Amino acid sequence: MKKIAVIFFYFGVFVFTSCKVDPKIIEPLPTDNLVEVIPEGWPNPVYSFSVNTISEDKFVLGRALFYDPILSVDSTVSCGSCHQQFSAFAHADHNFSHGIYDRLGTRNAPGLFNLNWLPLFMHDGGINHIEVQPLGPITNTLEMGADINPVIAKLQASSKYKNLFKKAFGTDVVNSQNMLRAMAQFMGLIYSYNSKYDLFKRHENNVQLSDAELRGYNLFLTNCNSCHKEPLFSDFAFRNNGISVNIYLKDTGRAHITGLPQDRYKFKTPSLRNIAKTAPYMHDGRFNTLQECLDHYANVKPNLINLDPLLQNNGLPLSAQDKQDIIAFLYTLTDYKFLADRRFADPN
Amino acid sequence: MKILIKFFAIVLFLGLISCKKDTKSPEPAEEPLPVVVPTATTGSVKLVFTHMVDTLPLIFNQNFINAKGDTFLVNKLRYYISNIVITKNDNSIYVEPNSYHLIDHDFPATRTLNIVNLPFTSYKSISFMLGVDSTKSTAGAGTGDLSQANGMYWMWSSGYIMFKLEGYSPKSGSPTKFLEFHIGGYSGINKVQRNFDINISNTPAIVSSSVTPIINLSVNINEIFKTPNLIDFSTQFSIASTGSNAKMIADNYADMITLKSVQN
Repeated sequence: MKKIAVIFFYFGVFVFTSCKVDPKIIEPLPTDNLVEVIPEGWPNPVYSFSVNTISEDKFVLGRALFYDPILSVDSTVSCGSCHQQFSAFAHADHNFSHGIYDRLGTRNAPGLFNLNWLPLFMHDGGINHIEVQPLGPITNTLEMGADINPVIAKLQASSKYKNLFKKAFGTDVVNSQNMLRAMAQFMGLIYSYNSKYDLFKRHENNVQLSDAELRGYNLFLTNCNSCHKEPLFSDFAFRNNGISVNIYLKDTGRAHITGLPQDRYKFKTPSLRNIAKTAPYMHDGRFNTLQECLDHYANVKPNLINLDPLLQNNGLPLSAQDKQDIIAFLYTLTDYKFLADRRFADPN
Repeated sequence: MKILIKFFAIVLFLGLISCKKDTKSPEPAEEPLPVVVPTATTGSVKLVFTHMVDTLPLIFNQNFINAKGDTFLVNKLRYYISNIVITKNDNSIYVEPNSYHLIDHDFPATRTLNIVNLPFTSYKSISFMLGVDSTKSTAGAGTGDLSQANGMYWMWSSGYIMFKLEGYSPKSGSPTKFLEFHIGGYSGINKVQRNFDINISNTPAIVSSSVTPIINLSVNINEIFKTPNLIDFSTQFSIASTGSNAKMIADNYADMITLKSVQN
């Protein structure tokens, strides 16, 4: 009996020590095939890397910065904190994201992909260029709460970043332009154009849409495509889609930037690509499901201030079956290749 | 006919003696070879911005009186001067390339702009923009004076702060008596860039190898609070976004830069 106990003891020791595997050396993430992409039938992008030529080293630097909390005032929050790849770079299950010191934001973090085509950034269009886009969240007191110069100083003091800047730009002197261009390079190369819908449209791999998906596609073309315009699934215009004003936030949207009364309560039309992965929905994340979104569009209260003319007539005439079919179609816009693309993953 | 022959003969004779004269001139080969110095064909002009409050030089943290009669002091003053064009007496122009300059009262060296590569000649006018044009305002990450890290850029509503003045006034409606004028807006009806044409034809700037003319400009801070919109600090003490208020200040500063003198 004693012997058996001893055997068990040693066996136990063996089992536990065998668990202590040496930490695996993490393979560096891939950086292959970093080229500008303009899928067939798409318009020319707004940003074309003409003054920010694509290089592996800039991409690697931009990716490191995107995922590094060093950009926030207390080094706790990174871009990647609220833009998660598995959610198409939206923030899964968060209507509002929490920034430094658990401060809550006031708008829903949007998905990030095909950003080269955006004429304006943020829900209110306040930011006018992909290169200066990161300055918004970095300096927002509810998000990363930093000033740009202390961030540059932190990067300058880091041997890791001095090395990465040297590789990317030939100088280890960090400045805002190089930092922002590296980030624009990473963000701009996050493309999503390989959903089931895309394969179907390109007649690739003999991909077909199901009956429900096809019915949904046709309903989409009739009811949704005027704003969520193919192939980017947005017209990037600012519209009031009829959701009631949040009485606590009183977010005036586009008017926050323009100061114009006709822009009050208007927000930028978001792309519907990867929409199944970017819940919750709307600029304030008020809807958890696509069903709720379609229920809203099928029953829009008329006469709201600045309500979009396309929704004046009580919204869209959609039956319960129509909504189901549209949702089936929207699911074909998920690009699993992009969601799992290791090039866009956190390198740390 | 005879006259004609005589004429030809005289011309020929004159031609011959004139040739003789040439041969008399010293042979260049006999002289030591001159050292060829590449002579510059361009020089420069200095543009000096002197900050004034009416007739007094602006000194930070010192009290002045505005047009409304209220006391105020200034402790920050920065603005962009861009798109400098200088016109020669023959009406041709020199356009300064990449012409974007941030003037910061805290750094006296920034108050002097050197316009270089100017061909030697006389110049009768100079024009520039106060602010940053819409092209550069929508061009993404800048560098140097146009870097987004100079405290002259709005992060949440992209665009350069074209003009920034801060200070205090006991009349200010702010609880801390602060004054804050951050003026921006690069397009649309409320854009705040203003163009200045400085005529110096009375004393043209004569650029030569030995002279770098200095064009002295006066920047009168009190103009910002005077005309056409009289500013009352009790109600207008903080403007920090684009819009009609910013435009109101821009309309005021549209005439704040004037010629003081040209030194050749």
